[in-house]
Amino acid sequence: MIAAWRNRPEWLHNEGAVLPLKALQIRWLGALLLAAQVPLAVHLPIWVALFGAMLVALRFALLRRDRLRPHAKPARIPSWALALFAVVLGIAIRQSYGGYLLGRDPCVALLYVLAGLKFLEARTLRDGTLLVCVTMALVITPFFYDQSMLAAIAALPVILLMGGTLDGLARPGADDFEFEAWGTAVKRTLVMIAQGLPLALLAFFLFPRLTGPLWGLPRDAAASTGLSDRMSPGSISELSQSDAVAFRVDFDGAIPERRERYWRGPVLSRFDGRTWTPLPPRTDGVLAPADGPVVSYTVALEPNGHGWLFALDLPAQLPQLTQADGASDEETRSLAQLTREQQLLARVPVTQPLRYVQKSVLRGSYPPASQREVDLNRALPPGNPRSVDFARELRAAHPDERDYVLAVLRHFRAEPFVYTLAPPRYTGEPVDEFLFGAKRGFCEHYASAFVVLMRAAGIPARVVTGYQGGDVNPRGGYMIVRQSDAHAWAEALIGGMWQRVDPTAAVSPLRIERGLGAALPAGDPIPLLARLDGGWLKSFQLAWDAVNHQWRRNVVNFDFERQRELWRALSFDRYAPWQIVAGFLGLAALWALAVLAWLALKRRRQERALVLWDEVCRRLARAGLARAPHEGPLAFAARAAARWPQFAIAFHAIGQSFATLRYGDTGERPRERAAMLSTLERAIEVLPGAGALRDAAG
Amino acid sequence: MPPAAGLLARWRQRLFRGAPADRDLVVLRHSRIYILPTRRGIAVMITLLLMLLTSLNYALSLGLAVTFLLAGLTAAALLHTFRNLAGMEVKPLAAGDTFVGGKVAFSLALMPGAATRLAVTLSARKSRVMADVPAGAARTVALEIPAPTRGRVALGRVTLSSTYPLGLWKAWAYVHFPLVGLAFPAPEASPPPLPFGPGGADAVARGRGEDADLAGLRDYQRGDPPQRVAWKAVARGAGWYTKAFEGAGGGPVVLDWRTLPEHMDVEARLSRLSAWVLGAERAARPFALSMPGLALPAAQGREHRRAALSALALFPAELP
Repeated sequence: MIAAWRNRPEWLHNEGAVLPLKALQIRWLGALLLAAQVPLAVHLPIWVALFGAMLVALRFALLRRDRLRPHAKPARIPSWALALFAVVLGIAIRQSYGGYLLGRDPCVALLYVLAGLKFLEARTLRDGTLLVCVTMALVITPFFYDQSMLAAIAALPVILLMGGTLDGLARPGADDFEFEAWGTAVKRTLVMIAQGLPLALLAFFLFPRLTGPLWGLPRDAAASTGLSDRMSPGSISELSQSDAVAFRVDFDGAIPERRERYWRGPVLSRFDGRTWTPLPPRTDGVLAPADGPVVSYTVALEPNGHGWLFALDLPAQLPQLTQADGASDEETRSLAQLTREQQLLARVPVTQPLRYVQKSVLRGSYPPASQREVDLNRALPPGNPRSVDFARELRAAHPDERDYVLAVLRHFRAEPFVYTLAPPRYTGEPVDEFLFGAKRGFCEHYASAFVVLMRAAGIPARVVTGYQGGDVNPRGGYMIVRQSDAHAWAEALIGGMWQRVDPTAAVSPLRIERGLGAALPAGDPIPLLARLDGGWLKSFQLAWDAVNHQWRRNVVNFDFERQRELWRALSFDRYAPWQIVAGFLGLAALWALAVLAWLALKRRRQERALVLWDEVCRRLARAGLARAPHEGPLAFAARAAARWPQFAIAFHAIGQSFATLRYGDTGERPRERAAMLSTLERAIEVLPGAGALRDAAG
Repeated sequence: MPPAAGLLARWRQRLFRGAPADRDLVVLRHSRIYILPTRRGIAVMITLLLMLLTSLNYALSLGLAVTFLLAGLTAAALLHTFRNLAGMEVKPLAAGDTFVGGKVAFSLALMPGAATRLAVTLSARKSRVMADVPAGAARTVALEIPAPTRGRVALGRVTLSSTYPLGLWKAWAYVHFPLVGLAFPAPEASPPPLPFGPGGADAVARGRGEDADLAGLRDYQRGDPPQRVAWKAVARGAGWYTKAFEGAGGGPVVLDWRTLPEHMDVEARLSRLSAWVLGAERAARPFALSMPGLALPAAQGREHRRAALSALALFPAELP
């Protein structure tokens, strides 16, 4: 047995791996690589994107040169130069990604460029194999950044080119093989993909998903846009320029009024005179009792790189994974915790789209957790002296906390404060300069100034950031909350309870009532989709978003939870894992039989002409005219026509059409083949049976 | 032989076809066809695995979709590769002959049935040939096996294989026909002139005179002088013939083992005789061959030549 095995060179023989790539193979590889590069390029720094594409273009230029001058030595870039180049590129990419190379994004960029470099120097079939593999890996990289339908469509060209490229590579050095036209190769790949589709779908639905990542996701998703855990003047107005979706919400019942829709995010208590930062989170918060109007809804959160789960003020329960019945308490508790500041914190950073069910009670006040918390929110760093003096004077006039708050808000309303996205830069004492200087600011300026005025007057207060508002998509009946809805407001301890106070509402009630587009002066730059008069473009965008929402819900978010849900619905959880695997294998075997049957059927159709011709030959043999083994269809038909002149036309038609089907080049023209086949069939119908023929020859 | 060993041998034959047990037509059915991934197939599968792990880790649903789509393509390619061989029929046609140092051509017929078979490789020993076989048309392929020593040259086991369409899978099947060709002893490079015939005439010295009469045509053989080729027949497309002249070749020669010098060993003698057979053929003289245990009467023509050369090829290496 061993000896027999040893002389088994066959299945792994590798001659041909070092054969040179032919021009056509290089062209296929280049097209494949380009098709993989294009969808990724938009997510890369512009110089990386252009550079990778340029490498591919350079190889095409060299190919062209070789073709025009076939006898010149083929252009070649030495390997050491390329290796050096790769190192330089690695360093450049490291620099442009903030000094680290081992994260996901720099690796993707490096892979993108290295694929181009490899293509530039690819010489042998082995290089070709490597390129195909690298390209395959490139195909999934755009999905790190974008899993929209568009991204899925953009991945299709590579898949369609894959078959032709592999086919081209599989014919080593055989010069007598002409590659088929591109269209034919793509069509054949399409057929094979269609044949593999049932298996792919089965695997997609059955392959177990992971509950969490296998390896860390270091520093990767944190770079995405969104709220930050620091607030300084200008940080939120910057965010307002972004149309990016923060999360989408499906409400179970009526949608609360816009002015009620405060989506709570990070709470900032620490102030250094300019920048607000949060206290270290204490995750022993107490849920608000559900004694007011309770709203329940499902949030589809986009990755934000932090552990922040957004909920309407105030959360009445911990977020539940999408199916309420299935998740045990254990799982629910492990998803998120509530901080003392009523913020929901996931245990792991949200780096993947996440859906959760949430209940909130619409109220603006809750009791503080401890005296220490209260004290911490009274601290004010030195600085902003005019504001402090102003607060002390005002407080002297209004000893009651509630009166004082109203007086401050009145001050904002009475003085010529302007709500604008384009405030001046406040440098020295930002709060003083804002309150007593330019009086122009965005929500973070108002929230910050308000909290400073409170603390200066001895009232504990803090900044709350999050989102306010959100647009209902009329096409989908759900709400979109965008980054441009980011907002900052304040909380003050009034009457022993934390009370929400939104100073922006005092200055610009429209912002709270109708959104950013209504509130800003006409000249301010605001993103298209936040405008009220977006017109057909906005309406188109909303329709597109509705389709994408469904796509997200059913395809992109088909994760561990959704899979469990589906399995439960199909009662799969009754089966042991091995039974499911066995079932899968059984279905795969059925699939193989079905595809083989399909191929056999196709073959049978091709065979049809042969079957018909055999039948004619048999019939004529019984009628006394046997075909000689060497006799071709035309000659035999002519002999038959001479014997039975009354059927001469039929015999000629049979001979002609069979010869064309059999030996002609109609293989690629199915319509012509079909016409020929029907001619053959009809001509045979005209012929009488063997007995009648024998008599006719008489 | 104990039954277990017999069973093992049967299985080995079934798996690897080590013995030339395929008599005539062989249909490549699933029991004969093996299929495994090629190196490229393994590389692609490893890549798919990496894509799967990445997609799972980052919960990329679309990544999984693409991975499974490509895996489906790979699986479909397996079936296509299998179908490219399955149902094809192979038939042994003929074994050729050659002189030592040449190549013996073995011809096999491939009958594809109703499907076109693309890029089918046949290999035996170091010889390989690749063929496309269009549907319905039998195709003859020749495998040329080098012949390093005289005697019988067996074709051995033939591997039919294909990686069509994507080169990710290799399907193969073994057929082992008892086809045996012959390698004649290599003719001595510069042999002495042909020995005298029984009549004592030295025909080689005489050459062909103008007065020679055309006796007829015989089959062309490699090595016939160009001026003797019946060019008119060739031009007509009737085939290749050589003109044979009455009286031109002189009388028959006797090629006798015993008349060779004592010091020559067996192989040298066989080479000399082989060269003389060709020489007599070229001179268009009938020859008789006489060797230990064999005597061919004087005759002429293709059959006679082949009988003589075969006898030389199969002569035992050690004198009895």
